[in-house]
Amino acid sequence: MWRKILLFSAMAVLASAIFAAPVTIQFWHAMGGTDRIQLLQNLANEFMQQNPDIKVDVQYTGSYTDTMTKMIAAVRAGNPPDLVMIYDIGTQMMIDSGVVIPVQNMIDKDPSFDINTLVPASRGYYTVGGKLYSMPFNSSNPVIFYNKTLFEKAGLDPNNPPTTFEEFIADAKKLTVKDANGNTIQYGFTFGSGEPLAWFFEQFMAVQNALLLNNNNGRDGRATKAVFANDAGLRIFNFFNEMVQNGSAINAGPGWDNARQIFISQRAAMLITSTSDVNMMVKAAQSGNFSLGVMFLPHPSDVPYGGVIVGGASLWMVNTNNTQREEATWKFLKFLESTDAQIQWSTGTGYFPVNKNAIIKLLYEGYYAKNPPYLVTVLQLLMSNVTPATRGGATGAFPQIRTAVDTAFGKMFTKAMTPQQALQWAQDQANQAIANYNSMY
Amino acid sequence: MAKKIFPYLLLVPTFIIIVIFIYYPAFQTFKLSFYKISPFGNRLFFVGFQNFWSLFTSGQYIQSALTTLIFVTVTVIGGLVISLFLALLLNEKVPGIGIFRTLIFAPYAISPAVAGTLWAFLLSPVAGYVSYLFLILFKAQPQWLTTYPLALIAIMIATIWKNLGFNVIFFLAGLQSIPQSYYEAATIDGANSFDRLLRITIPLLSPITFYLIVMNVTFTAFSAFATIDVMTQGGPANTTSTLIYKLYQDGFVNFNTGFASAESVVLILIMAVFTYLYFKFGQKAVFYQ
Repeated sequence: MWRKILLFSAMAVLASAIFAAPVTIQFWHAMGGTDRIQLLQNLANEFMQQNPDIKVDVQYTGSYTDTMTKMIAAVRAGNPPDLVMIYDIGTQMMIDSGVVIPVQNMIDKDPSFDINTLVPASRGYYTVGGKLYSMPFNSSNPVIFYNKTLFEKAGLDPNNPPTTFEEFIADAKKLTVKDANGNTIQYGFTFGSGEPLAWFFEQFMAVQNALLLNNNNGRDGRATKAVFANDAGLRIFNFFNEMVQNGSAINAGPGWDNARQIFISQRAAMLITSTSDVNMMVKAAQSGNFSLGVMFLPHPSDVPYGGVIVGGASLWMVNTNNTQREEATWKFLKFLESTDAQIQWSTGTGYFPVNKNAIIKLLYEGYYAKNPPYLVTVLQLLMSNVTPATRGGATGAFPQIRTAVDTAFGKMFTKAMTPQQALQWAQDQANQAIANYNSMY
Repeated sequence: MAKKIFPYLLLVPTFIIIVIFIYYPAFQTFKLSFYKISPFGNRLFFVGFQNFWSLFTSGQYIQSALTTLIFVTVTVIGGLVISLFLALLLNEKVPGIGIFRTLIFAPYAISPAVAGTLWAFLLSPVAGYVSYLFLILFKAQPQWLTTYPLALIAIMIATIWKNLGFNVIFFLAGLQSIPQSYYEAATIDGANSFDRLLRITIPLLSPITFYLIVMNVTFTAFSAFATIDVMTQGGPANTTSTLIYKLYQDGFVNFNTGFASAESVVLILIMAVFTYLYFKFGQKAVFYQ
């Protein structure tokens, strides 16, 4: 009797394993906020409905830095996820980690995926040594949001925003409003310091078509030196410094939130932030009753406009030595890159689509005509020249370089250093960090 | 024999937990401080004392050590003086004193991160209440979180406020254990209230004060991390980056594990020396009843 029961149950277990055979894959992402967490979960649910044999376990693992920390801990513990979202500047570290499968390997094996559907800028950023390492997913740039209503009040043409550093500085001054006691009640411009500020610096280098690192930004070989302490870098330091010192710009403090709040509460007329904030800004303008404008990043008048670098994050496949899971992960990745998924993702967040077909479809459906701010964010990227400068830097020491650049800005704003000294200091710190990182490889 | 083994058996679960969560990581930290390690740990090079050498020759590390010294000294002394003053007031027998005591203690119950967020809101350059008050009262617009030394002062204020409840409660307990007869006797001998504070209250509070100093130094040096992370992220230009915040940045932002381990070891040594000195010399200054 017992033997029969045992036999049956063993058979039942075996049968369920063979017929259902669900593969479970782990997907870690860094998209906070209930909207974005839900949106990614919905995409995974849709995928699981189409593929009942695959289960995707979606987990929000904190900020970009937190996700990287958890990824490192998981790799060391021998239990990494199948798919992980890693920030732009983690690219070289991931390549050097020895635990990833370049998505190029999967693409080469799978004729059903057309690599040419990827937006060139996003594809270029994550291609190192001619190989696409990770799948672009949430790509963004910085743009400047401005308050058209306040532009009108200041006597400026809201449909003719500044395009050069010089015009920008002049307009910021005109947009600054002081009360009878000389206290500022409205600033021309606001920005977040910390990581965002260092990111803006990198972008303004690309705007001037200037490199951050040698060896063509570390794309032709491992970068061995930082090369940003030059005229291009100095123009950026001076640009921010002039507005902070003359009181037309306010440093909102570390992170993204403070600067957004200042802009949304209409205490500043212009804000530099990520294109992925476009959803939030459109809603804020509606509830705050002001008219929202979006402009491209300005450039120094004597330097031709280069372009912007793709920021945000990409999706990395981890080598688990389990073909079944790797194939399931690849299937899920292809789903996430599909036109429909990209449209859902882009319209729900403000990140621009990384699939050309998604952009075309949205355009034909009249989405961009109805939502001009979204169009500006996409256009800025598509109108960028594709050069080594706009492909962005690749080095494993990037987090330290960002810390150094932000600290240098702080030293300049607090007048502990001149712009020239601060820039040089940042570059020296960066070189030390790069040398230290490279000595391990 | 069985008698001798039994107590040890009871200690085993505790010991296992301590070994796994304290001794083993501490041992690893000591070991890793002699290595240069790639972010993912796949490259490991023994470098001897090089991490320590770079620490002490790094201007940024020395700066953050100085910042910590200033921060801890001002916060602990300032915090204790204010707490003692409040405790004296709260020790009075007035109606509704229970409510005041509860209100003063409340900040201690919230987490340092929440305290940081609250203060960041209050000090926000254009939307904060404190900034608004300053504008109305002094017609000034201090930029609390982005200028030096205001950012450091803001962190000090937030930390003092956060720990106030803890200190006040202990001072109150101390005050209430001082027998009323001492004060009566002193009053008869003609001592005024200032004399009574200086000659009776403060000496008799010294054991509590000693305990609070040790606790506060630990609090301030270590748990101010969340407050700093939320309010300034060590900025502007590292002027609010304490040793513990720098350790976090090197270890978990820059992924420089070996270097961060060396910082950790230095921190352990500093705390060990501090604790030893305090228990050796500190107790002589304490007057026990």
